[in-house]
Amino acid sequence: MKQNDTLLRLENVWKIYRMGEIEFAALKGVDLEIDKGEFVAILGPSGSGKSTMMNLIGCLDMPSRGVIRLDARDISKLCESDLAQIRGKKIGFIFQQFNLIPTLSVLDNVMLPLEFQEVDNSVARQKALKLLDLVGLKDRVYHNPSQLSGGQRQRVAIARSLAVDPDIILADEPTGNLDSKTGAYILDFLNGLHTNEGKTIVVVTHDLNIVKYVEKVVYIKDGEIEKVECT
Amino acid sequence: MKLARAFKHALNLVMHSKLRSWLTIIGIVIGVASVVSIMSIGAGLEQDITSQLGGLGADLLTITPGLSKASGFSHKMPSDGGSATEGEVVLDRTDVQVLKGIPEILLIDTEIRGSAEVYYLGKRGSVTLTGVDQKVWAQITTSEMRDGRILGPADQNVIVIGGRLADDYFERPLGINKMITIEGSSFRVVGILDDQSTNIYMPIQMAYHVLDDKENDVYDSITVKIKNEDKLDYVIETIEHKLMMTRHVTDRDKDFTISSSRQMGEMKSEMVSSLTTFLTAIAAVALLVGAVGIANTMFTSVLEKTKEIGIMKALGARNKDILAIFLLNAFLIGLIGGIIGIILGYLLSSILPTLMGGGGFIGRLASAGSVVTLESVLLSLSVAVGIGTLSGAIPAYQASKLKPVDALRYE
Ligand SMILES: Nc1ncnc2c1ncn2[C@@H]1O[C@H](COP(=O)(O)OP(=O)(O)O)[C@@H](O)[C@H]1O
Ligand SMILES: [Mg+2]
Repeated sequence: MKQNDTLLRLENVWKIYRMGEIEFAALKGVDLEIDKGEFVAILGPSGSGKSTMMNLIGCLDMPSRGVIRLDARDISKLCESDLAQIRGKKIGFIFQQFNLIPTLSVLDNVMLPLEFQEVDNSVARQKALKLLDLVGLKDRVYHNPSQLSGGQRQRVAIARSLAVDPDIILADEPTGNLDSKTGAYILDFLNGLHTNEGKTIVVVTHDLNIVKYVEKVVYIKDGEIEKVECT
Repeated sequence: MKLARAFKHALNLVMHSKLRSWLTIIGIVIGVASVVSIMSIGAGLEQDITSQLGGLGADLLTITPGLSKASGFSHKMPSDGGSATEGEVVLDRTDVQVLKGIPEILLIDTEIRGSAEVYYLGKRGSVTLTGVDQKVWAQITTSEMRDGRILGPADQNVIVIGGRLADDYFERPLGINKMITIEGSSFRVVGILDDQSTNIYMPIQMAYHVLDDKENDVYDSITVKIKNEDKLDYVIETIEHKLMMTRHVTDRDKDFTISSSRQMGEMKSEMVSSLTTFLTAIAAVALLVGAVGIANTMFTSVLEKTKEIGIMKALGARNKDILAIFLLNAFLIGLIGGIIGIILGYLLSSILPTLMGGGGFIGRLASAGSVVTLESVLLSLSVAVGIGTLSGAIPAYQASKLKPVDALRYE
């Protein structure tokens, strides 16, 4: 695992939301670097722009101004189909509300990102089963998400985020909907992914428990980066 | 995403909104079923008429007294108003003489018709009796024999009867060589026709005795067979011209009608095809309503699945993947609806005419049967699938164009 190898770079990134006449700047000239293999936490009060930043990093949205480089490639001007490719190949998402597809089985949910990459069905299946084993849900593969607890659902989501072996895993308040014990388990698990597998992980949270795991904490307030602490 | 997987997800969409999918499918089923059944019944009727046309009778003309505007329709029915009483217009030997003078005419059959009391083994009834010129009837009639023989030149007290009169009109079947009482006189059955009528045919001389309101040598109709059916129109014109001269009438007060079975068939076939077209148009509207239903379902479905579309996009789905899933969803609804509709339409087209049963036009439908043409099946299936996919196109396109962030934020 090479350190100080920049994976992601935000240069003077602005995001301005327009609601009729009113303009609102959710991000005001953010500069940030995330290295390969780094475990980063983004902390900040509600409404400070954390999710907005995550959406930009995750290629789900375009910045109003500024440049975002992923692997040195400027992604802020790509078309939707290229962005979809990047999301599908390089990024794994973990959401606060788990965002599993309720009509698909646990296994099918984990296979879904691989299907978009046109991976062979049997290969995708094996991969999904392996990942579900990893998150300890081997015996739940044919269950529906609705039959699982919150913690189990988030583990399915983690397995899904790992399906395509992404360069970076983005987790937006992954413990926000979980009790503290389950939340701690999830953070432990992410930490394990980082230390054992060298995954690059960015976690947005206001759960201060995370500080003890991560290598870098980015404090954000009112759309601006207040400070960056390396631990 | 591979097509097979997109198909799986489309099917998943159908399966997981069962009620709504089925309601939409029912809309398509009704449309397709009505198109198929109407087209099948129409095709059956047309085939029936064509076979009548192409087969026997294309060289036959029937002359009846009085002027019927809808020439031809009463041709085979008993002409109630045709009783030859004083003062009414009649056909008689003079007219036959005129017809004999036309070289294109091969045979002339004079007929009278009336209703007669019949009695057999304790049961009475009243049926239509036709007196025919038995010397030529055998060569002129379009009826097929089922049993026994047709009337011959030397016959006297014998009759040929319709199939229904033989089978179930009386308590017991009335078979060959059985004696039946008609208006007090005894007659022997020598032949049974292959039809479903209760008609009785006997030599015209006997019929004059039996039907006592008929005057000798006055006919209710004259049927002629011409030598060359290609000359039909010419012969009609000639007959018309000559009869008008001898009967001292002009175009304005013409007092007879010439009808040909071909004319009749053509008119019927025209009527049937315009009726079929009309009904098909109505059925097509039903299909259109079904299509609107699909569009509606799809719009609702896309709205409901917005969040999932967002999730899929976050997981790497491209616009065309989303488009494929929703288009296939609409395609499936159209396909399922189309297949069920065709089966239902087929059943309807074979059951409906029989159910409605009875006489008249509907009765004809029953006997004509329906013909499910490959054409109508393919047409309605492709229309159902096409309409389904088409009406799903706009919602599917909308779904594919959703911005990932917006879709993900949707609750
Ligand atoms: N699509 C949007 N339209 C308008 N305003 C938005 C939109 N998304 C976020 N915002 C606003 O931008 C600010 C930052 O939002 P967000 O990034 O979600 O904050 P956080 O995730 O830190 O709680 C908030 O004030 C929010 O209301
Ligand atoms: Mg947020």
